[in-house]
Amino acid sequence: MPHVITRTPRMAQGGRPARLPADKSTSSSVTQVIIKTPGKQEDFTIADDTSVRQFKEKLSAHFKCQVDQLVLVFMGRLLKDHDTLSRRGVLDGHTIHVVIKSKHGSRSLAHPTRNPSTKDPSHQDRTRQGNSTGVDQPASVGHSPVEPALSVEPDVPKAHTRDQEVGRPEHLTQILEDASTQRLLSNTDLMRQFISEHPDMQQLMQQNPEVSHILDSSELLWQTLELARNLAVIQEIMQIQQPAPNREHPRNPQSRVGSESIPRVQNSPGQGSADFSDEMLNPSQDPFGGNPFTALLGGQVPGQVQSSPPSPPPQEWGEQLPQLPTTRVIYASSCAFSSITPASSTPDKSHHTSRAFTSTNSTNSWSHTGTVEKPAGIPVLPSVEVTQQPQAEEKDAAISLDSSGQKLEDALQLSDEPSSSPITASLMQLLLNNPSLAAQMMLGVSMPQLSQQWRQQLLAFLQQTQLSETLIALGNPKASQAILQIEQGLQLLATEAPVLLPWVAPYLWGLGWLPAPSCSYPDTVPWAWDTPDMAEPNGPEACHKSGTVLQRLQSLAGDPAHLLQAPEIRFSKQMESLRAMGFGNQHANLQALIATEGDSSAAILRLRRPQAF
Amino acid sequence: MEPPNLYPVKLYVYDLSKGLARRLSPIMLGKQLEGIWHTSIVVHKDEFFFGSGGISSCPPGGTLLGPPDSVVDVGSTEVTEEIFLEYLSSLGESLFRGEAYNLFEHNCNTFSNEVAQFLTGRKIPSYITDLPSEVLSTCSPVLPSPSLEPDQLYPGLSTTAEQRDHSMLAPAFVQNPGMCLSHCT
Repeated sequence: MPHVITRTPRMAQGGRPARLPADKSTSSSVTQVIIKTPGKQEDFTIADDTSVRQFKEKLSAHFKCQVDQLVLVFMGRLLKDHDTLSRRGVLDGHTIHVVIKSKHGSRSLAHPTRNPSTKDPSHQDRTRQGNSTGVDQPASVGHSPVEPALSVEPDVPKAHTRDQEVGRPEHLTQILEDASTQRLLSNTDLMRQFISEHPDMQQLMQQNPEVSHILDSSELLWQTLELARNLAVIQEIMQIQQPAPNREHPRNPQSRVGSESIPRVQNSPGQGSADFSDEMLNPSQDPFGGNPFTALLGGQVPGQVQSSPPSPPPQEWGEQLPQLPTTRVIYASSCAFSSITPASSTPDKSHHTSRAFTSTNSTNSWSHTGTVEKPAGIPVLPSVEVTQQPQAEEKDAAISLDSSGQKLEDALQLSDEPSSSPITASLMQLLLNNPSLAAQMMLGVSMPQLSQQWRQQLLAFLQQTQLSETLIALGNPKASQAILQIEQGLQLLATEAPVLLPWVAPYLWGLGWLPAPSCSYPDTVPWAWDTPDMAEPNGPEACHKSGTVLQRLQSLAGDPAHLLQAPEIRFSKQMESLRAMGFGNQHANLQALIATEGDSSAAILRLRRPQAF
Repeated sequence: MEPPNLYPVKLYVYDLSKGLARRLSPIMLGKQLEGIWHTSIVVHKDEFFFGSGGISSCPPGGTLLGPPDSVVDVGSTEVTEEIFLEYLSSLGESLFRGEAYNLFEHNCNTFSNEVAQFLTGRKIPSYITDLPSEVLSTCSPVLPSPSLEPDQLYPGLSTTAEQRDHSMLAPAFVQNPGMCLSHCT
């Protein structure tokens, strides 16, 4: 071709041919057009009387796609198959835009009214799914609640390549995103009818009569679909669904399997933990008001975590939920409120653990969870792959160990039945037999760089005492008082003689001086316990941390809801003011605020105090 | 045959300098610039624009820039929303990826121009597309001005380099008198 292909399309408004073929006469028999696809353009030569359809066939061979996938746009007009190019005013040098639709729906769907006109290309109909006037279906392509869930499907294929694969999933996607399917599915009445009348569905509804209400609420339906799309969630649900022998918790009046027993929880990760705690504090709340599966989702992690030492098997998670505000802690943490602060040290671990638990998605590579520390919202939560039962059990066991902090009374109740089931015993056995695993879990996966030494110590600590004993001991108010005193002493030590900190490091571990109520302090976490020189700079932070642990312990019986709120949330206003005043170190700000329990001016004094003692 | 539906296509033009460019450009650049233009295409009741975060959309006038300073009627199109979104997504994978953003060579106005031509066959007014060359032809590149706090210019979207760049340009008039706007990306 003698022409230079330029990148900028030519303005063809005036209809004046921009170029003349040098070796062809400017006869009306042949037209040279520029075909422009997103990303590139090419020249094409066609006869004038070529119909659009023929041109499309030519293009489909060129672009390796189906004719139906092609959409030709000229001057803002869609070129229909029956047109000819000349009739549409396409002249030399004009630019025709081509859009290749992805994965076009198969015509195998029997929607007789799809092609009202034989003249109109079927693809045109599909493309006009929102505007078609020729469809007889009663579908109201409106804002049906089902559509939001489904509309995500077409959004996804839009990003797909144009190449047509005949793979199963793509094929399915094609079918799904076909306009006619969309219309069908968007007819809520129709869909409801379909679903309700399906024998499996009816069976399900007989077993769980409350499930039917899901179908009645579009919001619930959408949430359910969202959740259902997550495989991990389904797995969780499947596990929890198994009927549990233990239903000893009076606060769980519901008798539905699995999801029933979980109080309603808002699905949104944006929910403050306070909201969650409200939910949790009303175990007798009518579960019908909400989406049981959402609640299930929210309750899964709590369910997993909540267990006390006897660690009811995974199947029992659901019922354990209502009475454990620990779950609320864990859930919130799972929802990426990273600084939920459980009341005591062990809940710290559980907090981390749970987050680790929810965020891990590999077998035993706990270190992964460290990277997922940052709030990730709900997506983090469903990312759990409880693919292996033993793994889950291990988690359970370890988590059960940790989670007792918040409501130790309840934990004690549960611990009264240490061998409530053989599974529990096996869980405990598993935990004890895998000390490294337990240690890892306990330490909170936020610190993958923990020293082996640390783990060993903690492990020894664990093994020395029966798990239940530990938790019972912690439940003893005098014991917690003693711990408090120890912490105070340590805090004093840190203030006075930080160099001594590494010496007492082991004790600090045992007291749960794990980093941060929240994972947002990862940088202060690796306390290189074995390097004395690190102790000094860490001293002030140690103070802050001990302060937080102290506060947590102190407020254990106090204000759980307040406690559970992440410090960052509680102190957000103060953080703002501090930042406005020029204290740029968010980390230090938060530490100071936590230490001063939200007192901005005291925090400022603290911040201004030289950090090196 | 059913009559084709025609959808109006509008170009929203925003002056990022909010009038400062018109007043100060003769002093600072030596030539008159009417504004620092940011554009977006509005069609199917959505506003589409390109930034360093890629192609984005929002309700018309829904960016932090507020209502547009002027609206240009580009024409009308038969392209349906579905086709348009497909087109945009393939654009977003090819020409208009987020990292392809270049303040002068390949910016929001480039995108608006491209889309306008796709939708209607028409280009956007030349005074918009000529802006980078106008600015570049003035003086030599200079330090970028301290930018505004890169808060969310576009609600719900992370700050794009374009917004930062634009915000750099705008205060450049104010904060760097006598210095050129050219921002080396």
